[in-house]
Amino acid sequence: MCNVQGKLAAWLDGELPANEAAEVAQHLERCEECRGRAAAYKQVTETFTAYCDAVMQSKTQPRVPRWVPVLAAAIVFAGVLLLVFPRMRIKPPPVLTPTIADAYVPAALPAAAAPDAAPRKAVHKRHVAARTAQKQAAQWQPTESAVQIAIPADAMFAPGAAPKGMNFIAELSIAPDGSVKQVRLRQ
Amino acid sequence: MFYRQRRDAEAQVSHDSVPLALPLLPLAAGTSEVTTLYRELRKPLLRYLVCLGLTSDEAQDVVQDAFLNLQRHLASHGAQENIRGWLFRVAHNQARNRQTSYHRRFGEPLVGELDFLADEATPEQRLLEKEKFRRLAAGIRALTESERECLLLRAGGLRYREIGDVVGLPTSTVGDTVERAIRKLAEKCNV
Repeated sequence: MCNVQGKLAAWLDGELPANEAAEVAQHLERCEECRGRAAAYKQVTETFTAYCDAVMQSKTQPRVPRWVPVLAAAIVFAGVLLLVFPRMRIKPPPVLTPTIADAYVPAALPAAAAPDAAPRKAVHKRHVAARTAQKQAAQWQPTESAVQIAIPADAMFAPGAAPKGMNFIAELSIAPDGSVKQVRLRQ
Repeated sequence: MFYRQRRDAEAQVSHDSVPLALPLLPLAAGTSEVTTLYRELRKPLLRYLVCLGLTSDEAQDVVQDAFLNLQRHLASHGAQENIRGWLFRVAHNQARNRQTSYHRRFGEPLVGELDFLADEATPEQRLLEKEKFRRLAAGIRALTESERECLLLRAGGLRYREIGDVVGLPTSTVGDTVERAIRKLAEKCNV
């Protein structure tokens, strides 16, 4: 072990008297081991100083939570949307004017409302058919005043030709002069 | 809340600015010298105290008190030799009084809190930097209290004689302590 190894840190810090510093410098020129050790000391010193700076920065600088930039971006995005589409409004769905059929059909089907001995499947089909008819009636807008007439199927077909309880609804559009303008038959 | 408001207010002011408390003291001989010293030594003092384990608020309080003491010291015509060492000694003693467990706190690795340090670096560089700091923190934990304090004061720019004044050791002992501490870090941390 070289005798200058205990003086390397002081030599790096400029703490040695001039004669001793010159002695160490001369030794370093010819001793590779001490030269490497001095380089390592210098690197340790620099790393230590950088570490202290990092510790101080991490403790003294106010840190921004990670979610803050995300929240800020979301707010900015929402603001841009409001600026770009200032008058955009959600349109309510169109209101269908209820027709006479809506209010009239269930009441005009006494056979459907009455207790029935038919199988359950048939009842279900009738209900579906009635609902479909209601929808179609709701979509149909008569140009003039309309009259609905519920006609039992038995009155139109021979007995047994049509399922029991089936009804038809005839919608008559009446022209202003009192004549029938349009006839619409639906189940 | 008070500390946060004060820290935010301080963050807006330059770190080199002089606190209002100092000019408000009765003007005495050496006021301009105190101002100069404050600008020069505030940051090294803060770094020393924070690295000892004090919180940022504690460290700022200690620095403020140290400069107020310096103002009184100069106003009462106290000794003006080695004022830098005097300031560090006052701060060091106040930190000792405030901090009862700074040995443990200084040894805490702070790698996880150093993400912002190298934002411009590549991920590999950041990883290497973190790993280097982690090994160094482990090495610092292995140092004795005296070795750690001597290294911190040396990193603060103090000469060996000034370090000896602060920690109460002869200059030659400070030299040996610094040499030993650096050798330990170089051998154990391989930085």
